[in-house]
Amino acid sequence: MDANRPLDEAKRTGITRRMTRRAVLRRMASIGLAASAFAPLLAACRQQEATPAPGGVTPQPATPTPGAATPTAAQTPAGATPTPAAERAVLNYGVGAADITTLDPHFAAATQDRNIVDMVFNALIRYKPGDSTQFEPDLAVEIPDPEETADGKQVWTFKLRQGVMWHAGPQNDAYELTADDVVYSLQKSANKDRSAYAADYSGMTFEKVDNYTVKITLERPLSPTLFLPKVANYNGGFIVSRRAVEAMGDEAIKTHPIGTGPFKFKSYASKDRVELEANDGYFRSAPKLAGVQVRFMSDATSRELALKSGEMDVVSGISDSAWVQKINQEPKLQADVFGVGEVAFLNLNTAREPLNDVRVRQAILYAIDRDAHLAVFGGPPVAQNVFSVVPAAFMRGGLTEEEARQAGVAYGRDLDRSRQLLAEAGLGGGFTLKMVTSEMDAYRKNYEVLQEELREIGITVELDVVDHPTMHRLIREDVNPIVIYVAFRPNADVYLTQFFHSDSIVVTGPKPNTNFSHYDQIDDLIEQARVETDPKRQEELWKQANIKILQDAVGFPLHFINQVYGRSKAVDYGHELKASLALYPGFTEQTTVQK
Amino acid sequence: MLRYTVRRLLLAIPTLLAVLTIIFVIVRVAPGDPATAALGDYASEEAVRALRQRMGLDRPLWQQYLSFLADLLRGDLGKSLITGQPVVDQIRHVLPYTVELTLAAIVVGLVIGIPIGIVTAIRRNTLVDYAGRVVSLAGLSVPAFYLGILLIYLFAVRLRLFPALGAAEFSKPGAHLHALVLPALSLGLIEAAYVTRMTRSVVLGVLHEDYVRTARAKGLPERIVLFGHALRSAMIPLVSLIGLFAISLIGGSVLTEEVFARPGLGKLMIGAMKQKDYTMLQSIMVVYAIVIVVINLLTDLLYGVVDPRVRYE
Repeated sequence: MDANRPLDEAKRTGITRRMTRRAVLRRMASIGLAASAFAPLLAACRQQEATPAPGGVTPQPATPTPGAATPTAAQTPAGATPTPAAERAVLNYGVGAADITTLDPHFAAATQDRNIVDMVFNALIRYKPGDSTQFEPDLAVEIPDPEETADGKQVWTFKLRQGVMWHAGPQNDAYELTADDVVYSLQKSANKDRSAYAADYSGMTFEKVDNYTVKITLERPLSPTLFLPKVANYNGGFIVSRRAVEAMGDEAIKTHPIGTGPFKFKSYASKDRVELEANDGYFRSAPKLAGVQVRFMSDATSRELALKSGEMDVVSGISDSAWVQKINQEPKLQADVFGVGEVAFLNLNTAREPLNDVRVRQAILYAIDRDAHLAVFGGPPVAQNVFSVVPAAFMRGGLTEEEARQAGVAYGRDLDRSRQLLAEAGLGGGFTLKMVTSEMDAYRKNYEVLQEELREIGITVELDVVDHPTMHRLIREDVNPIVIYVAFRPNADVYLTQFFHSDSIVVTGPKPNTNFSHYDQIDDLIEQARVETDPKRQEELWKQANIKILQDAVGFPLHFINQVYGRSKAVDYGHELKASLALYPGFTEQTTVQK
Repeated sequence: MLRYTVRRLLLAIPTLLAVLTIIFVIVRVAPGDPATAALGDYASEEAVRALRQRMGLDRPLWQQYLSFLADLLRGDLGKSLITGQPVVDQIRHVLPYTVELTLAAIVVGLVIGIPIGIVTAIRRNTLVDYAGRVVSLAGLSVPAFYLGILLIYLFAVRLRLFPALGAAEFSKPGAHLHALVLPALSLGLIEAAYVTRMTRSVVLGVLHEDYVRTARAKGLPERIVLFGHALRSAMIPLVSLIGLFAISLIGGSVLTEEVFARPGLGKLMIGAMKQKDYTMLQSIMVVYAIVIVVINLLTDLLYGVVDPRVRYE
């Protein structure tokens, strides 16, 4: 009956007029009515969902290699009339994000942006769909070999396909792609005001030879391993339309991309969806889909339910093998687990006592049980072992398990050795480390496992959980003696430079980036490898760098976490799925949905 | 009443100003910034700095605040920091979805809650009453987003009667209403629990009033006593509380829109929070604040409509 008291009072309020509406509200609040008005604040407190982690079903450890396929102009738009769009299916794709950030490919970084950009744009060459270990020609008719000039420069000459047409846009008709577009686009990529990836193009000049030939000159020669990604369908390599960008402006193309890809932009509703429709004039062939509808669905449960109800054909999943098993139990559904994988690794701060003693750092590494770190993500196939910070499964220069063992840097849990090393360092009685972690699972779970592991050798870890952006800010202010970082980088050079070159030391480095360990012992190896044009020698230098990192116990790889998606079995991507730099399965002109 | 309305609107201005200032500060005090959120952790500090500059975030805070207020005075809600699109267009696009969901939930709440409330009041301390109160208590205890997930699982995944995605274009009214059912139920059923308890309480009170006793004493049939006398009075406070329901539903719709991947102010706001889109977030808050002020005003005015004894001075 007590529960009715406020209601009775509210009733009297209404009838006798002795109380104000404000008083009624107050009474209502006492029974919880007003509580739901605070829902927006509660919503704000919800954890931001982790971006789907890149990952892979252990593709072969190979660097992208020029593919054998050499399409020619003869392969351009098939003469056959495409099936009318009404008879083709639209693929519904639920992506785990709130909205796009930008569809300007030269700024696109978020998963959902990369996905859409990948469908709309092309580049001179591309990673083979579903397999980021192989290159094949895209807008170029072949992948050229570089030429060295007398003055020590390197020249790459690309012949373009003929007959490739730009999508029509609000301020441009469809027109043929030429060298003007390619030069304009690469110059945009190299301009720091118009691209987030300008640094990748420093020391490069771009020149039109004729309408279908582009020459790229490098001040300092690069190996194909480091050069080709710059002209591939990733980051600044995407080619934008000169006419469209000049007519619309850089701002407008963020929400209305004009490309040459299999799907063209149709509409965008903020925080709701992006609609793409088939580009029937696509130079490879008309898409088998009528289009792709990308729905922004931050809530993982909603995505899963929409997949199960049949309203979504493909959704981004949860990076946990338990989720994969759950989806695979559904008769009409299939979970896809593929690369590229984000590597979770430790960075031990050599500038901070007592970690400035290599014995202490090694003691910490000997306390780590890789399997325990894998287990919190359900183990394989979602999370898999890795033996150097540069993941050998996805790129050249990483160490395989065998190589790490041969070099004596595989470590492995050995508590006796760990305690012995601490005793030798005069820290047998243990000590305390204070650290912050992000609330995101990929970070928090690893820190918590580390906390337990270190407790066993007498090291107390005081862990403070903060939100993800705050963690990123704090670790860049050098607050953590040990930083666990989860990242994918496109090649060994970027990994090593950003995390282990002295230029990148946080706070004090000349170009502060993410060298949390304050390490400066492999600068020469990184720089030698960067300019080494012999791929084998280059790979060897990167491996040496990785071995040195582990010997000095400044970086330690825990595992990599794969991409996880759920799909209806009615969907056929049209390609085998091993690893995708665009961080989604890849929807191309060959993709189909049987509806 | 006109003078009262104008006075209330004027009084709302300092309230709005205070709300705007708090919002402006809070979104900027929160860690992280839009440039980092946009470019990801791969981007160099130089690239992040350049983007911050383009977004105007390198300006002193007071300058940003003044231009925010100046834009608002001109009726300009600004452009999204992330996409550069006018915020007003995006709000205009989603507002009908939120209004529609709120109204539908009110209807569900009233249509289900009032009859159950009346029945449980008339049959006080019977099995029907106990059952009604247990169900309504359960309703009060379930968050709308959780109920939404349960409804999707049951009606969209298992029975396939309704879509899991809670919105279709307005141009397709059939599909649109079909898609509205589950979101409206997930919000409305919980509201029905409030309405049930409120109605029961009010009706119980009215049934003990002298004029009801008088009606019974003069021999009127119970049906006429109930519907002709008791319930008419009981409805007055309920009608006036619709405004309060509307406010609570607008709040509750945030998570419902997210669960049903349904366009709306709430989904827009959560997205803006995730992207640290200051201008978008501020503008949505402005709209929320205005909507709540207006609903409060309408609720006060409604008192006079449903009860002629109320005078506005």
